[in-house]
Amino acid sequence: MNRTVNVVRMQLINKQTFVWVPLLVLGASFAMSLAIYAILNSSGLPGPFYGGGSQAPLWVLLFVGISSLTLTFPFSQAMSVTRREFFLGTMLAAAMCAVLLAAVFAIGGLVEEATNGWGINGYFFALDWVVEDGALGAAFFYFVMAMLIFMLGFWSATVYKRFGALVLTLIWVGVGVLLLIAVWAITRFEVWPEVVTALVELGAVGLAAWGLALTVVLGAVSYLTLRRATP
Amino acid sequence: MTTGTHVIEVNGLTKRYRDVVAVDDVSFTIEKDTIYGLLGRNGAGKTTVMSILTAQNFATSGDVRVFGLPPYENAKVLSRMCFVRESQKYPDDALPKHAFATAKLFFPNWDDELAAQLIDDFQLPMKTRIKKMSRGQLSAVGVIIGIASRAEITFFDEPYLGLDAVARQVFYDRLLEDYVTHPRTIILSSHLIDEVSNLIERVLVIDHGRILIDEATDAIRDRAANIVGDVAAVDAFVAGREVIHRESLGRVASVTVLGHLTASDRAELASAGLDVTPVSLQQLIVRTTQRAASEAATAEEGALR
Repeated sequence: MNRTVNVVRMQLINKQTFVWVPLLVLGASFAMSLAIYAILNSSGLPGPFYGGGSQAPLWVLLFVGISSLTLTFPFSQAMSVTRREFFLGTMLAAAMCAVLLAAVFAIGGLVEEATNGWGINGYFFALDWVVEDGALGAAFFYFVMAMLIFMLGFWSATVYKRFGALVLTLIWVGVGVLLLIAVWAITRFEVWPEVVTALVELGAVGLAAWGLALTVVLGAVSYLTLRRATP
Repeated sequence: MTTGTHVIEVNGLTKRYRDVVAVDDVSFTIEKDTIYGLLGRNGAGKTTVMSILTAQNFATSGDVRVFGLPPYENAKVLSRMCFVRESQKYPDDALPKHAFATAKLFFPNWDDELAAQLIDDFQLPMKTRIKKMSRGQLSAVGVIIGIASRAEITFFDEPYLGLDAVARQVFYDRLLEDYVTHPRTIILSSHLIDEVSNLIERVLVIDHGRILIDEATDAIRDRAANIVGDVAAVDAFVAGREVIHRESLGRVASVTVLGHLTASDRAELASAGLDVTPVSLQQLIVRTTQRAASEAATAEEGALR
């Protein structure tokens, strides 16, 4: 257990990758979104304004997930760490990072609602659909999204490490084809309204629950892949 | 075979990559508190063997035991071993202090003072990111981790790449100094055989995935001799002996023969006016490897006929 916690400290050597870059992207996209809202507000538009800028720091976690494996796994092997310790410690580090982001998003959302969108009716964190279940619901949603995106990066990197670039590309092409078939099927059978209704009814928390399930499955697959990976 | 002083036991170890056999049915044991030289040509299987012993790579078949247990996913076994490979990767942002602080977390016998002294000895720049370091500085980081971790079994995989002659000597000196006060098992893979020949107590020579020599260094030195002198006299002496190398220049021949020279041998040599010169470890290993290669080639030709 102690060694697993030490893996967290090993991962946090990359403070720049794990902490500063996501926070920097968050700060920058927040500032830019507010600037745009302010321009719109000053030109007399009433709002409310919403933007997708809050996604930006989440996507950074894709690269965090990749580099936590490609660079730190070989080092962990030199430190005589078992693959299991490495996996659990890395997941713990990712969860800490995701909790931090989720807390920033949830608190930011509360502040936005209390200040009526920073006084200019502009919302960066408190997207209607996400905050309808309250601050805890929003925090859960952002936590899961952060973990899921991290896991996509980590899982891709384990596949790359063990099976190489060709297999990884084929898998992603396969995922793309499956998504395309789904879109085709929904269009072909004209069920878009039903799909949209189902998503809305599911809500942010319901969707996050499915996201969590997918994260756990990807995590299990990554672990099994990692068990036979060589540095 | 008892497990009393054996820290590593390898039985029938084979590693196959598609159609290449990297390690071919190898069996050996490693004794406690001994410095081993794992010697062999590029691609002979040295790194593969060390990787499998430290559970960084996987055997195709065969059995590996370290401290009597399989090392794979075994934290109790792994934490007593240290293997820093020749092209070790480090986290992207890492400075040397990060690497050493992490090593301190995972190696229970880590010694900060020793690490500080080694940093000084190798003049390692502490404010340079490891990924920006030169080949030699990168090797120094690995060497410092290997020595200062004082793991019960330490593997060095060609640790000298990029190190100049002075830095290599620092490595050999510090390793030996610390080994004397803190005995442990050290397995050193190297091409620079004569450079490490004073350091290593036992020699493991691996070639084409097989163990050719597994002997005490002193015994090997005693195993062969160069007989130098008049061609006819040399030929008369070596008749019936196992010759592994022959050179001649005009009337003078130098022939390397296997086998311990007895007192009567030496008397015979003296009376025939022949000189005996010692064979360097490097010469002996090179010639043994060459001979094994030509025997294998002959056997193959025979099989083809």
